[in-house]
Amino acid sequence: MPQRLVVTGASGYIGARLVERAQRRGCEVVALGSQPGGANVTAIAWRLGEPPRLTAFVGATAVVHLAHDWASDRLNGTGPGNANLAGAEILARAAREAGVPRFIFASTTSARPEALNAYGKIKFALEERLKALPRHDGRVFCARIGLVYGGRERAQYALMAKLTSLPLLPMIGLDREVQPIHVDEVCDGLLALALDPPAGRQTVVLASPAPVTFGNWLRTLRRARHGRRLLLVPVPIGFALKACDWSKAIPFVPTVERERVLGLAGAAPMPSAEDLAALGLTLRDPADALMDCRPARRRLIAECRAMLRYVAGMRLRSPGAIIRLARVTRRDPAFRRALPWLALHWPGLMRLIEPIRPSMQHGLSRRLHLAAMVVESLPAEPMQPGLGTLAKELFLEAVALPFRLVLGRVYS
Amino acid sequence: MSDDFAPEFIVVGSGPAGVSAAIPLVDAGRRVLMIDGAHPSPLPSERATQTQPWRRMLGDTLAALRPDDGLSPKLRTPVALDVVGGFQRWAEVTEDSFFAVGAMARGGLSQVWGAFVAELDQQDLQGWPLTADELAPSYRAVTERIGISGSTDDDMAAFYGVSGPVLPPLPIGPTASVMLQRYAAGKPYRDFALGLARNAILTVARGERQACNLSLACLWGCPRGAIYDARQDLAALQRHPNFQLRNGAAAIRLTQEPDGWAVETAGGETALRAPRLLLAAGTLGTLRLAVPLLRLGKTVLRLLNSPLMAMPLLLPRRLGKPAPREGYSLAQLGFRLRYAAEPTHYVTGGIYETIALPPSSFAARLPMGRRAGTAVFRALSPALAIATVYFPGHCSSNFITADISGGDVRLGLRGDVSDDFADVAPLVRRRLSAIWRRLGAFPLPGAAIAVAGTDAHLGGIFPMGLADTHGTSRYGELHATPGVYLVDGSVLPSISAKPTTLTIMANADRIGRHLAGVA
Repeated sequence: MPQRLVVTGASGYIGARLVERAQRRGCEVVALGSQPGGANVTAIAWRLGEPPRLTAFVGATAVVHLAHDWASDRLNGTGPGNANLAGAEILARAAREAGVPRFIFASTTSARPEALNAYGKIKFALEERLKALPRHDGRVFCARIGLVYGGRERAQYALMAKLTSLPLLPMIGLDREVQPIHVDEVCDGLLALALDPPAGRQTVVLASPAPVTFGNWLRTLRRARHGRRLLLVPVPIGFALKACDWSKAIPFVPTVERERVLGLAGAAPMPSAEDLAALGLTLRDPADALMDCRPARRRLIAECRAMLRYVAGMRLRSPGAIIRLARVTRRDPAFRRALPWLALHWPGLMRLIEPIRPSMQHGLSRRLHLAAMVVESLPAEPMQPGLGTLAKELFLEAVALPFRLVLGRVYS
Repeated sequence: MSDDFAPEFIVVGSGPAGVSAAIPLVDAGRRVLMIDGAHPSPLPSERATQTQPWRRMLGDTLAALRPDDGLSPKLRTPVALDVVGGFQRWAEVTEDSFFAVGAMARGGLSQVWGAFVAELDQQDLQGWPLTADELAPSYRAVTERIGISGSTDDDMAAFYGVSGPVLPPLPIGPTASVMLQRYAAGKPYRDFALGLARNAILTVARGERQACNLSLACLWGCPRGAIYDARQDLAALQRHPNFQLRNGAAAIRLTQEPDGWAVETAGGETALRAPRLLLAAGTLGTLRLAVPLLRLGKTVLRLLNSPLMAMPLLLPRRLGKPAPREGYSLAQLGFRLRYAAEPTHYVTGGIYETIALPPSSFAARLPMGRRAGTAVFRALSPALAIATVYFPGHCSSNFITADISGGDVRLGLRGDVSDDFADVAPLVRRRLSAIWRRLGAFPLPGAAIAVAGTDAHLGGIFPMGLADTHGTSRYGELHATPGVYLVDGSVLPSISAKPTTLTIMANADRIGRHLAGVA
């Protein structure tokens, strides 16, 4: 019989992905919330703070509580009126009444009594409350989730994606350490807690065991998504908080919440290696995991198309060739550096940025070699160039030489 | 395998040596069980995906779409990566200046071999416990079976041997023609001979194998089965009731029992038993299996290979001519050069045309951009040839370190050349360069000695006729363990400059014939 999970916040960034992954593992999902869930999800109307209908819990293995009311944080801060506080407690009690074996609470690595932002304080207070509920020993699990990235561009990840699409970024907290984790890894961790929790761990940290500075994280994002460098300009925190207020007033500028700025300013890493090991999670290198994101995929296809065109000397009518080259070069470390956009439009310009002689240690040269192999494996008749073509190629080669002496080192 | 099949012989390995040893045994009515570490793989002629060249050239999983690692294009095809890669994963050898070419595949290395064949003569057999006359019937049998084409009346014919029937030669390409015509027209050469290559390619259809149609597909596996592949013999063997083949049974351990030998296989629940074992896992594969039997703890063994040099050549007379649209990419011509007075001091090799080779691997070596490099190669390719030069095994100085003290077998291969090779190689290169020029071919820069082992002409580990612990009898039986016969390259007492496969097959056939008559 399939296991049944009750999920709040099932339409959110993590929730939507959690539902997909749970279903892929053969779980049934009941979504508690105001928005209808996805396919094959039993949706039950519910609002944070209300006791849910007990029928929602029938046969459930676990409740995964992801929903968070941000508006209430803004209105009530950490005061008792915050709907999140009462809401989680009511839900946990109801689940306990209905005999649900486990209650998983999505917390944060900024959950600390001294957190700068309300979010961190509230999550901490909630953890304490849930753990103190009577007869909840061994039933309540808190997952402290780090900086989530990957998957569909939503929530905080959407904001970071948007910010890192710019070459220059004024930013606060560049030296703060953050612990990125892919949304799929978060989901796997939550599912492990829900379905088969490791013994003796009530609070687990779902975050990278190797913290990186926020500045480096933004650079990683830009490098992986766009293959380019990011210039960061440090901004004092006080100025940033003001800027948050202004950002709301100026149209077409991404709005940044004060909460997020404060959350970042107060970030401090938490050890996670043991928790991850207990859950059986090994985190992927974000640079690899991000290769699947849309801008990276789009760039990969554009670069492969241009390289094939350059090597073949003509436009190829073979989507298969592009796909084959893309499949292999996406793993190539050289792909992390984008080719100049001019070369994507006029592939002949690659002649100017190739190294002096082919080298398998040189990123562009290596990728062009693979492109040449792909072209050779197409069924077209090999062309034997005439004397004119040969003379033209050699002339262009001579013209390109001075450029290659300089630029040949850049795309290595 | 049916349970009541009690084999008299277990043959480990389904490559050229394995089938050659098994055939005389099976013909004599003996019960033979062959075990093969790999799972059946379709012959190129049986593959359904002929229509998509990229699958053939890059592999279904694009395994061959990888940066150029300097190895010969032959070792970078999808099939070679599968065959040799499978072996390297199984054997777990550490390599130092050596590239371990072995096979974990049905048919062994014959799936990817160059099909160049030559018989050893009495002088090549110096130090062997047998004479050329003793080997001749086996050469004849193997030659008849696998189908060998070439010339029987040119300057190289006697060098390649005349024991068996030779099929008419393939037509050679225009570049090779130029060289051969100039050779025939010029004054006689001192110490040098040139002629048609001797290849295991059918020029006359035979059974299910079709004759070569010059489709230039050699490198990626002949779709017509014209190039000999041990899987063809295997198919014939499987029609005999006294022969059985077990797939996916990689031998991992051999144990002596009161009435014979037991072979433990990966994934097999019960050991396979027979009174006699024939190891034909390929020189390095057999090494892996036989070393623990010697009970030597840590030991150092000798390994011979045939050092290989490749020389790119340009024939100016062919510049501007159209590239031929048909041909074959195996050796077109064969040559021999004596570089010293001793009878084994000669080099030999083949001359290959480049039209069927991937331009990318040449463009990668030209000192220019990719686009220009490809254009230049394509323009030059009708005038290009490659000469491969094999040196005799005594020019090699490789060592195997074997450590079985911890229970596991740890093998290290260290490649090196003999002290005099530093003088021999430049001498040979100089003399050959002068000869190539006389033949109208100008040596291009870029001649290079290949990494030891990539020649795949290996041997000399358990020499036949050597009395030491690691020696074997004249029938390849390990002194240390009676009943275990090594029938592949590992027992060759010496490696000449000639290609080894035909000799390995003939020797295996000889051992098989001997064992067929043993009670």
